[in-house]
Amino acid sequence: MKKTLLALALSVSALMFGAHNAAAQDCEINVGSVLSITGSMAAIGSSIGNAAALAVDHFNEAGGVAGCKVNFVLRDDQGTPNVGVDAAKTLVEIEKAPLLLGAIQSGISLPILTSVSVPSKVTQISCCSSAPSFTALSEEGGTDGYFFRTLPTDKPQAVVLASIAAQKGYKRIAIIYVNSDYGNSLAKNFQEAAEGMGVEVVNSVAYNQEQASYRAEVNAALQGDPDSLFLVAFPADGATAAREWISFGGSQNMLLSNALRADEFVESVGAKFLTKALGIDNAQTEGDSVEAFNAAWKEKYGEDPNGPGLHVMYDAAAVGLLAMEQAGKPDGTAIRDEVRKVTGGDGEIVFPGVDGFKQAKALIADGKAVKYVGATGPITFDANGDVTGPYLIWGVSEDGELTVEDKWDMTRVSELMAKTEK
Amino acid sequence: MSGFSIYLIFFLIIALNYGIMGLGLNLQWGYTGLFNAGVVGFYAIGAYGAAILVGPDRDYLIGGFDLPWPVAILGGMALAALAALIVGLATLRLREEYLAIATFGIALSLQLVALNFESLTGGANGLVGLPRPLFHLFEDSTTYNLFFLGLVIVILGIVWFGLELAVRSPWGRLLRAVREDESAARSLGKNITLIRLQVFVLGCSLIGLSGGLYVAFIGFVSPTDFLPLLTFQVWAMLIVGGSGNNAGAVLGAVVVWALWTMSGLAISRVAPVELQSQAGAIQVMLIGLLIVAMLIFRPRGLIGEKTGGS
Repeated sequence: MKKTLLALALSVSALMFGAHNAAAQDCEINVGSVLSITGSMAAIGSSIGNAAALAVDHFNEAGGVAGCKVNFVLRDDQGTPNVGVDAAKTLVEIEKAPLLLGAIQSGISLPILTSVSVPSKVTQISCCSSAPSFTALSEEGGTDGYFFRTLPTDKPQAVVLASIAAQKGYKRIAIIYVNSDYGNSLAKNFQEAAEGMGVEVVNSVAYNQEQASYRAEVNAALQGDPDSLFLVAFPADGATAAREWISFGGSQNMLLSNALRADEFVESVGAKFLTKALGIDNAQTEGDSVEAFNAAWKEKYGEDPNGPGLHVMYDAAAVGLLAMEQAGKPDGTAIRDEVRKVTGGDGEIVFPGVDGFKQAKALIADGKAVKYVGATGPITFDANGDVTGPYLIWGVSEDGELTVEDKWDMTRVSELMAKTEK
Repeated sequence: MSGFSIYLIFFLIIALNYGIMGLGLNLQWGYTGLFNAGVVGFYAIGAYGAAILVGPDRDYLIGGFDLPWPVAILGGMALAALAALIVGLATLRLREEYLAIATFGIALSLQLVALNFESLTGGANGLVGLPRPLFHLFEDSTTYNLFFLGLVIVILGIVWFGLELAVRSPWGRLLRAVREDESAARSLGKNITLIRLQVFVLGCSLIGLSGGLYVAFIGFVSPTDFLPLLTFQVWAMLIVGGSGNNAGAVLGAVVVWALWTMSGLAISRVAPVELQSQAGAIQVMLIGLLIVAMLIFRPRGLIGEKTGGS
């Protein structure tokens, strides 16, 4: 028994520490990513990983980063923070990754940031964590600037939606929101903005995920006779809540959060109940840079990039790698310092894809400034590493197609934000 | 220092902290036969208790007392003990499986309280910006982690030493008497309910201690940290290591946590990039397989209880 155990231990350690030596080249840089491949976010985790892998492939085809080949190392956090933190630590210490991409859930990204990225001076770029706690932590100086996210924060989204509620003439709106960092902050920001614009929020009801029915929540939201509903939810639970809302006589004047922009939601609620509904989403849907990403995705994976987190994750990887190219070395602090140089500013515009990165590498080699316009359009990080993005307003047609009703580019969003700040 | 040893320090901090939790559960299950299926609930109380006591004052929070870490961790332990006392008084008359269901439900409710009681726990956003104990005294994170590992080892040592003394005492023999044959122990005039309550409170305060240390090390706490899965992990650690043996509980924590985490490292080393997004599922299967294999070959755990009495 002891011999078997020993042999097992030896072979496992041989696998862990020997495998890479055999394949070693002149120079390789590992880029680490912690995502939920299993666990509660498993449905979206794998394809988000594919988006980052695509960006890494594009860079390798364009000739690598900082003179080296880039390896993409993806680790699973199993949907739990303790496993995610451990995985991040191995990526940083054993794989020597100067750049971490992830995680999906804020409850995992944040402990990784505080216990791994900041102490080990590694740049962390998240595709999908939307909690306002990151901004708060950064304002207190708790992130040392090592954290960035390519997903626009909730606040502008909430303000834009509130302005639509006001413009539509809704007077008394109810909110039903998923009890998570995402739902909480979107609901709270919406309420604040709506009341500032003269729309009364009569009820704000949280629901916990994955319940069979939300009758109690819907009933509570219906108290006080609201004339409209703002639903912040993920597709499956959101469909349950929306169905119950309508069957209890709730108004079809609905505002829907970005996560509900899914065929699954429309199908299970029924398109005919949703023709008056308007939703918001933060991925830019058109523009040359977006097309460049969409085409590259289709070429590689044979389907359109439909799904949450793909565009933002590609940009997270691309921004990190461009910053590393600009820094000229795989160093977390140097990457942190160059991120804004390759995104903001007046440099020459480069797009996603092999050609774009080739062009970027040539420009950087000549000492010229580069401005990456990515799969989500132009990206400008503020002092806390947050971005403001363009939005689109979507609706549902009679036959169940998702339509684009309106577009908010960044100027329009900023103007609205400036107006409400006053 | 090589990358692997830096990681190993980090790994051991987490694993040995689970060892403290394992010792608490071992006292309850291994020695006394109390089926606590709500480990994560008391871990959460210890963690949130410490975080609220140590955290900076904020307008939107009830807590934020800015107390020093030792006070905060002891406070978290005391809160876990208090919760265990209340839960214990209500449920300890229940027999094993009923106690398991009751404690499991309580742990789930506690996680929901953490998620919903925003003004106390920060809700889904958690509590951020917790200071890390003595962090400013160290130049880099590796020496700090080394210090923290030392701290965890010392605390683990104290807990271990205390428990070893306790289980060898007449009181410790009484625990095993309760586990083996409650009626016989009662017929000898022992107050079974009181013994069970003592053990439950003591075990849960150790679990709370581990929660406080976890927060001190990570510097952040949110409801995502307290999914029911953690209860299962700690149970796996105890069963694999050998329940009824303190060394087994600690060894089990290190071995199971190593399987849980390093299997991912091993897979990411061998799996080609294209398959990495599937590798996570393999890892989960591998963990299950290894635990099952271990139980088949070592049904009493790696180091089981010493037979023949003490």
